[in-house]
Amino acid sequence: MSKEKIKINQEFYDIMPLEYRELVEEGTYGKENRGWKDVGESKELIEEHSLCAGCPESIAFRYVLACLPAPEDTIMVGSTGCTSLVFPHVAVHNIHSLFGNQNAVASGLKRALSFRFPDKIKDVVVLAGDGATVDIGLDMTLQSWFRQEKFTTICFDNELYANTGGQSSGLMQKGFVAKMAPAGKKFDKVPLPEIAKSSGCHYVVKMTVSKPNRVEKAIREAILVAREIGPTYIQLYTPCILEIGKQMMEGLQEMRDSEGPNKRFEFEEYVSDEARAYLDTVNPKKKKRKKAIVTK
Amino acid sequence: MYAVAEVIDDLCVANKGCRLCIMYCPEANTILFDKEKKVAVVVEPRCKGCELCVVVCSAAKHNAIELVHR
Ligand SMILES: Cc1ncc(C[n+]2csc(CCOP(=O)(O)OP(=O)(O)O)c2C)c(N)n1
Ligand code: SF4
Ligand code: SF4
Ligand code: SF4
Repeated sequence: MSKEKIKINQEFYDIMPLEYRELVEEGTYGKENRGWKDVGESKELIEEHSLCAGCPESIAFRYVLACLPAPEDTIMVGSTGCTSLVFPHVAVHNIHSLFGNQNAVASGLKRALSFRFPDKIKDVVVLAGDGATVDIGLDMTLQSWFRQEKFTTICFDNELYANTGGQSSGLMQKGFVAKMAPAGKKFDKVPLPEIAKSSGCHYVVKMTVSKPNRVEKAIREAILVAREIGPTYIQLYTPCILEIGKQMMEGLQEMRDSEGPNKRFEFEEYVSDEARAYLDTVNPKKKKRKKAIVTK
Repeated sequence: MYAVAEVIDDLCVANKGCRLCIMYCPEANTILFDKEKKVAVVVEPRCKGCELCVVVCSAAKHNAIELVHR
């Protein structure tokens, strides 16, 4: 698909909402080398949602949407939670699945798309909260990895159930006390990146969203590997400032404080040999440039 | 009355490549780069007044964006 599909019939042009016209004229569909640097200078594929002021999930959404390699040929699968409030404001095809079912829905969708469009690239990207990914949907998450389903799973890890007022989730830190988890979390944060590795994911990254260039690399590579090789998993720390008692301008600092050496969101990446070999074929120029800088 | 961000054009160094507020504003399509004036500009109806833009701009010592009350 290209921008042709969203082009406005000239007869109706003047009655279409301004936001839609902007998307058609300045949206980055079909643009090569999309990335976070497009923000501020072209129309972003997300706008005016109801997440709390300052919510890091909003920042993460901006970067993820700016970095999808082919948004016009991508279908995102969401789940219940704060993230689901955003999808109606996202200008990429998306499906809302029952809480926890997202990886099952994405498996069927990806297979149907491969059958229907055998010669085209169609990316499927799951984006859900930690409650959906790790607790209620853990079965579906893991089974899709075991089965080597070719899509990317992104978890917005805010370490609790934010949308329902702050209950504890498997990804909450041990001992953490939240409004609706007054006794404190009883067991360790579930090591989902480790589990992803041993369950068949070919590309796994755990990080915060404090550095958009890093988020860009992870999202792009995860989607490319999922196209060709197999399942990929990205876990992004998007702290719920409301439930952890931060002010609305403190989200960025909270992420920076949590990603230092030996902190729980220190950058971690795993790339399988197969995925590495594939990425080397699609990133050859970049590699050369990097080498050139090192030898200077 | 609510708070929204406003750029002080004379202090903004977006013409030298600064994009900090644009990059870190949680809201999409809310701080844009004005290609003619070469400064950052806030789309007020979309601003939620979270102050993150003020934090990143002042941390870089530009102090070119502030919260104003409407
Ligand atoms: C099957 C089902 N069970 C429970 C709920 C209630 N519910 C709605 S949102 C939510 C929490 C979502 O938490 P998470 O996935 O961590 O996302 P967050 O809101 O933190 O971004 C729950 C339990 C539901 N909607 N559907
Ligand atoms: S409740 Fe938390 S995660 Fe949900 S929008 Fe508000 S700050 Fe973000
Ligand atoms: S961070 Fe400050 S100096 Fe930089 S573009 Fe924004 S307003 Fe201008
Ligand atoms: S106050 Fe918050 S929402 Fe408004 S422009 Fe600044 S960063 Fe964006």
